[in-house]
Amino acid sequence: MLHLDSLKKSFGRKPALDDVSFEVGEGEIYGLLGHNGAGKSTTLGIILGMVAPDAGEARIRGVSVQRKRAEALRHVGSIFESPSFYEYLSGWENLRILASYSGPFDADAAREIVGRVGLAGRIGSKVRTYSHGMRQRLALAQALLPMPRVLLLDEPTDGLDPEGIKWFRDFILGLREERGMTVLFNSHLLAEVEQMCDRVAILKQGRRVYEGRVSALAEDEKIFEIDVAPADRAVGVIEAAGGGMLSPGRMSLPPDADPSAVVAAMVGAGVRVSAFAPVRRSLEDLYLEMTR
Amino acid sequence: MMFLRQLRGELRKLFARPRTYMGYGAFLMMEILILVVYRFTDGEAYMRDLIERNGYQSDIYFSSLTLTFMVMTISMALLGSIFFALVAGDVVAKENEDGNLRLVLGRPISRLRLLLVKYSAVAVYTFTFVFFVGVSGYLMAAAAVGRDGGLFVSEPKMKVFAVYSQWGEGMLRLALGATGIGVSMITLSSLAFMFSCFRIKPAAATILTLAILFVDMILQNFPFFRPFEHWFITWRMSCWIHLFEHDIPWARIVESYSLLFGLNLTFFMIGFLSFRLRDFKT
Repeated sequence: MLHLDSLKKSFGRKPALDDVSFEVGEGEIYGLLGHNGAGKSTTLGIILGMVAPDAGEARIRGVSVQRKRAEALRHVGSIFESPSFYEYLSGWENLRILASYSGPFDADAAREIVGRVGLAGRIGSKVRTYSHGMRQRLALAQALLPMPRVLLLDEPTDGLDPEGIKWFRDFILGLREERGMTVLFNSHLLAEVEQMCDRVAILKQGRRVYEGRVSALAEDEKIFEIDVAPADRAVGVIEAAGGGMLSPGRMSLPPDADPSAVVAAMVGAGVRVSAFAPVRRSLEDLYLEMTR
Repeated sequence: MMFLRQLRGELRKLFARPRTYMGYGAFLMMEILILVVYRFTDGEAYMRDLIERNGYQSDIYFSSLTLTFMVMTISMALLGSIFFALVAGDVVAKENEDGNLRLVLGRPISRLRLLLVKYSAVAVYTFTFVFFVGVSGYLMAAAAVGRDGGLFVSEPKMKVFAVYSQWGEGMLRLALGATGIGVSMITLSSLAFMFSCFRIKPAAATILTLAILFVDMILQNFPFFRPFEHWFITWRMSCWIHLFEHDIPWARIVESYSLLFGLNLTFFMIGFLSFRLRDFKT
């Protein structure tokens, strides 16, 4: 559904993206993670044709954004962090104007979407009277108005309260369930990404340093919290088993390693093992490892 | 059809903004002030004297049409320019500054089409504004001195002098003149639009436009620039005054408007190329 091939982009002398490629399948929710300046927004900008890549191209449903932008974006909706609407117009007028850039305005479809995002009672009010949460709902409504097959979300839950975040997550998951919508989700909220996404990619200084399934995080490596002495002797045993120390008191082992055999080897080597407890590896662990 | 829908949306945005109406409000206030001073001071006597010294009956030519002509010629070049530069200078740069452009550029619309829609909206605004000034000026003048009478036109700088004794003929010329002013003013809006497409603040687009306009007007008034007057944009923009002549010099008018059209196209293309090459980060 969405293909990014070897994207490169520099702003002046500063490289923003360096050979970034990935694919998002139909009906998949794909998370894009990285520090500020890692290249996430540039990636989204290239997918939307708002940023011209120095090399590479983005394709949506097989159509190149760089060559046939209008055709490629026909079935795409997008939401940006802190969306800016025409404050002096009502929510409805904003929807009408923005939808006119995509095609004919279907008032019935718009009313249905407005109802679904929970703005029916306030859609006639001027946007300047909206709260942050209402603006995000309006942003969602405008993104859904062209009846997209692909949804690009750039920090959509930024600034929302916990109820708002949960509502947003359930809404997006519902859309995927209902319409098989493909979603590219760019966020700093790792817990959100972990709960919503099927796969994630981590960008660091414009390079993709990780890509994998969220469900496979726990299977990639086994992580344990340990309390051992002497530490240097324990590290030797762990490394011999194919593992390594992630941080003081935290070690990893390959998926096929037998933890009890490693503990026995440590004891056999004269290491005092006071604690050895498995830890479920979170997306945050992975993110911190990859971006450290 | 799609273009018209998009243009309607663009006009809706333009006419929903309070600053768009600043110009309308300012012109209404100015028209009221001119007419009050004109009516209740010796302005009326001055005009009657001027008409009679030229050998015409002031009862016929001191009229609402003549007053409307005066209001339009005096005010449009200065005050009108400011509001056209303000609105056209805002149309792209302000949306970029406010972040609205991100939502628009995320849609399947080409940048050329987007700019064409915005440019068309600016042209419509310019044109309607000129006619608003004309119509409101006429209504106020009619309320002040009555609707009957002919049209007395005197523009020494462009060497145009004409009189129309019949109201219908005078009104026709006034409407023709307003159309000419509207077309001329689109060049000013095009200049501001071009700057608005650059990576600059909206205020900078407005100031740059006005700076160019006023420098053009000032230089034109130096006696030793007189041989080069036909090179000045504002001189070309003043060609509408010839529409009031009894025998309209169409060749001169077409020449000036062709040149202005070429300038408009050039301004649009420069603005488009600048806009086309820009990256808009989300």
